[in-house]
Amino acid sequence: MHRPSGRHCDQYKNGGACFTRLNFRSRRRVGLRSRKSCQTASIATAEVSTQARRHADAQVQTETLEPGAVAPMSRHDGPRLAAFLRKVEAMVIRELNKNWQSHAFDGFEVNWTEPQQTVSCLHTLCYPPAQGQGLHVTGISWNSTGSVLACAYGRLDDGDWSTLKSYVCTWNLDRRGLNPQQPSVVVEVPSAVMCLAFHPTQPSHIAGGLYSGEVLVWDMSRSEDPLLWRTGLTEDAHTDPVYQVLWLPEPQHSHRFQVLSVSTDGKVLLWQGGGAGQLQLTKGFALLMQQLPRSTRLKKPPRGETEVGVTAVAFSSFDSSLFVLGTEGGFPLKCSLAAEAAAMTRMPSSVPLRAPVQFTFSPHGGPVYSVSCSPFHRNLFLSAGTDGHIHLYSMLQAQPLTSLQLSHKYLFAVRWSPVRPLVFAAASGGGDVQLVDLQKSSQKPTVSITQTQDGSPVYCLEFNSQQTQLLAAGDAKGMVKVWQLSTAFTEQGPRETEDLDQLEAQVAT
Amino acid sequence: EVEETLKRIQSHKGVIGTMVVNAEGIPIRTTLDNSTTVQYAGLLHQLTMKAKSTVRDIDPQNDLTFLRIRSKKHEIMVAPDKEYLLIVIQNPCE
Repeated sequence: MHRPSGRHCDQYKNGGACFTRLNFRSRRRVGLRSRKSCQTASIATAEVSTQARRHADAQVQTETLEPGAVAPMSRHDGPRLAAFLRKVEAMVIRELNKNWQSHAFDGFEVNWTEPQQTVSCLHTLCYPPAQGQGLHVTGISWNSTGSVLACAYGRLDDGDWSTLKSYVCTWNLDRRGLNPQQPSVVVEVPSAVMCLAFHPTQPSHIAGGLYSGEVLVWDMSRSEDPLLWRTGLTEDAHTDPVYQVLWLPEPQHSHRFQVLSVSTDGKVLLWQGGGAGQLQLTKGFALLMQQLPRSTRLKKPPRGETEVGVTAVAFSSFDSSLFVLGTEGGFPLKCSLAAEAAAMTRMPSSVPLRAPVQFTFSPHGGPVYSVSCSPFHRNLFLSAGTDGHIHLYSMLQAQPLTSLQLSHKYLFAVRWSPVRPLVFAAASGGGDVQLVDLQKSSQKPTVSITQTQDGSPVYCLEFNSQQTQLLAAGDAKGMVKVWQLSTAFTEQGPRETEDLDQLEAQVAT
Repeated sequence: EVEETLKRIQSHKGVIGTMVVNAEGIPIRTTLDNSTTVQYAGLLHQLTMKAKSTVRDIDPQNDLTFLRIRSKKHEIMVAPDKEYLLIVIQNPCE
């Protein structure tokens, strides 16, 4: 080993390079021999693992819970729920018992609104050109919002095919500056309009039945040509005056409606608004004397007439396929939309006509001009006839439950009150509107409102289902009066529905 | 045991309906139909919370123990708790 001679040898480390400082003197020039070594600095190593992140775009949205959906009742909170119930049960039972025996609230009534003591006339509406022609108000209807009143002008005592022009007028009662002699919309109609019905949800659609047998539907919000649909004078249409029209929800789509019309030619027809402004017949029923069920003895029809003239219709508020018809023969009929039996008629029709009658009730002394089904009881309905009597029938028996004589003249319309189960109103040929409250007296009317000064008949009346204190009535002088009823007629008492049930049970036995 | 207690309450004179609602206002047990139950649960839960905060605001040492609402047609009774509400609707004899 040859060590370089020298004193010392320094080595400097310098990041891989190396310097050696050699301090040596060579004695002999033998040869320069140096020993070098180098060393790299330790390599720093570290172990790290990485991962590429994967991005994904996602959107989240909560669904609004349907109002009817209830979260499934959880059965997990058993013990805590049991402890809670144990704790409160005693207190609740004690309160229930105290309540049952308490007389603390007997006779205690709160008045939320100003009580109205008497019936007063709010508006007197008329259309002078129609009055000038001597037209009568034959039909009135409130719209779905309860703020627009429409009336139809025609004549109820005309015997011939008149070419009398008539009118349908509407007044918007909530508008300021209401001019009672100037309706907001007037539609001229080529023939006399016998009845009107506003659409249940569309505030501006209204259907009307004409003396000529046509059914028309207008849209009052269109100013140029309000006529939407018409049946036209086809084979399908009625051949006699249409006495009542109604809107019915369609069986599959309950937000769309069809028009039902009844007429003295014995047909009950269901129309659907089709394209090109034409009403298409979807279902039809024909009533014939020989197909009526023999629940009661009926007089033999004169001159071998077989058709049963229908003058009024009312649907049950509890069963949407059940309806009651009032007839010229004076006997109400219970019918069903779902009837399948074919009617043995030779009347031409594009849709097969069926016989809908299920039951015949015992007759009045004259034609029935109006029927009304109770909105509070599934079996009760009223009928008003030209004998001046109101009959209260139950769907379950042919004889009426009770019979009230309200007038010595004809009765043209009867309607149950939409808020008080025991109250109804009737329009009489003597010129008054009679309000009967079965709770107070079942023999005579509670209030009798005189509509016309000279005793000309009141032909139609309708309660306002949105503003329940209003009652509109139209008379033969061409005036429509809107009456504001006293609070007694608009506030439901605590046990009225039970009282109505009791009345039905009591009288039926 | 929960069911028996509820049945006892429901079979009391004049009781129309009984329901138990949790702290969030979601019905847990009921004897009425779905839509009515949901309506009662939501509205009465809010009213009970308001009543409780009213009592506490007037006197912080006080707390709500029972809530009764008397209407023309019936009486609604609410027994509140930290986690649940028991709602009973009764038609009292007049």
